[in-house]
Amino acid sequence: MSVPEQDRRGRSPVREGLLTEPLENLSAVRLLGVHCSTCGETTFGLKTICPNCGRDTVEARPLSGQGSLWSYTIVRHRPPGDYRGPEPFSPFGLGLVELPDGVRVLSPLDCPVEELAVGMPLRFEPRVWRDGEREVVGFAFAAAGGAEAP
Amino acid sequence: MTDVVILGVGIHPFGRFETSYEDMGSQAAAAALRDAGVEWSQIGAAFLARMYLPATSGARILRRLGSTDIPIADIEAACASGGAALRQAVLTIRSGEADLVLVLGCEKMPRGFMDPANLYSAWQIQLGMSLNPAYWAIRARRHMYEYGTTEEQIAKVAVKNHKNSVGNPNSMYQKAFSLEQILASPLVCDPMHLLEVCSPNDGAAAVVLASEKRARELGVTGKAIKIAAISHSIARYSADFRCPVDSLSATINNPGPTAVAAQQAYERAGLGPDDIDCFEVQDTDAFCEIEAYEDLGLCRRGDGGRLLDEGITEIGGAKPVNMSGGLISKGEPIGASHLGQVHEIVCQLRGAAGPRQVAKPKVGLAHVLGAGGNSAITILKT
Repeated sequence: MSVPEQDRRGRSPVREGLLTEPLENLSAVRLLGVHCSTCGETTFGLKTICPNCGRDTVEARPLSGQGSLWSYTIVRHRPPGDYRGPEPFSPFGLGLVELPDGVRVLSPLDCPVEELAVGMPLRFEPRVWRDGEREVVGFAFAAAGGAEAP
Repeated sequence: MTDVVILGVGIHPFGRFETSYEDMGSQAAAAALRDAGVEWSQIGAAFLARMYLPATSGARILRRLGSTDIPIADIEAACASGGAALRQAVLTIRSGEADLVLVLGCEKMPRGFMDPANLYSAWQIQLGMSLNPAYWAIRARRHMYEYGTTEEQIAKVAVKNHKNSVGNPNSMYQKAFSLEQILASPLVCDPMHLLEVCSPNDGAAAVVLASEKRARELGVTGKAIKIAAISHSIARYSADFRCPVDSLSATINNPGPTAVAAQQAYERAGLGPDDIDCFEVQDTDAFCEIEAYEDLGLCRRGDGGRLLDEGITEIGGAKPVNMSGGLISKGEPIGASHLGQVHEIVCQLRGAAGPRQVAKPKVGLAHVLGAGGNSAITILKT
């Protein structure tokens, strides 16, 4: 996981407000959500208004790095548009990952598609790809029992 | 409240054509005017439902019928665009501003998967979340897990709808497939197969509406179909998992947009699911139809698959659904889909649906559901 200095400086999230920062230490990165103190609901992604109750009583909160698979599909065809998943394309799992925070987040699933099953334990895994000079950090979930990435 | 009736309907077949959208749309509109027995110059307002056509397409299309200065506005609410436009037309008549209104739905869509930039943020596209059938498949998988719904039951929707489309000259495929053929077709997004998902395509459908008073003055009350109710609703918080939703709540269970739109429509019509003789429902994918059975109140939650096992939703069954062949076999020209459903229900209520005819229906329901959790429901009665 050794990354040259210039690459670390050139690392950005796939979109602001979805991941905790800084991004230098990838093992500390988590999905970012907000918790509303009025209705108690936690939602994925930074925002200023709670999408449940409409109040502005929200504060940023990192989401759990552990979850379980609520439901899934296997995407058999290359998705249309500017897809940046692993190349060459191969069918991949995409599913709703239920987190203990009370939210189910749609995420690519980095594990063999034949192992996918509702209820399987998963762990958060930043997904990094190059875009010219810069590194982009997105996300995925991997089987919790699987081997650590090299 | 002013009663609103349908005087006429017209359709340009759904499929893939070299024809321009202006030609398809104006042909459907002209057919609806002929069916209604009224002239374009008598129409007081018009709406176009569309999602992928360019700006002011409604005016571009309808000018072909002759010079006019009436208000013409384009309406968009994803797969529910036709319902949203029909609702505007009904409200225009009820407001008293016009008593003869034309609603057109028209679309001409590129082949293959829809342009994701129209629905998704860049990050969703980059992470591989830009395939609409993936969302349908994830819903289907969860239903299978919770209720034991099977791949065979889901495939039976496609078998039924493809079979029904053989009797519909306005459908794209008009070809029957066996259960084995459906399940042997390529997986798009597990567990959804190619023959279980609809294709975006081209087509147009139009409806001419009038106040009940104007219809009487025109002397056409006899064949007029009444709009018993129309509703359009978007999903409450976390109530629907359909593109471009990126997450759901695990703690809050709001009723889905179809259930909400259905409750409104049933209340407005003073009718319930037991009073309805035939249905055209959203079947962008085969599972979506099973979910519609449950949200429309045709059965209990989780019990939708049984209706297929028992043939209840066949044309000859107790609750016929998608007599036209549904979107699975007609294709989905998005702006036109709901008005195509209304065309089918009107044909059914007139007893003019040919080989697709349900026995003596008096009430029919059309339902659409799509991106953003947009759902629209129209209930028609004789």
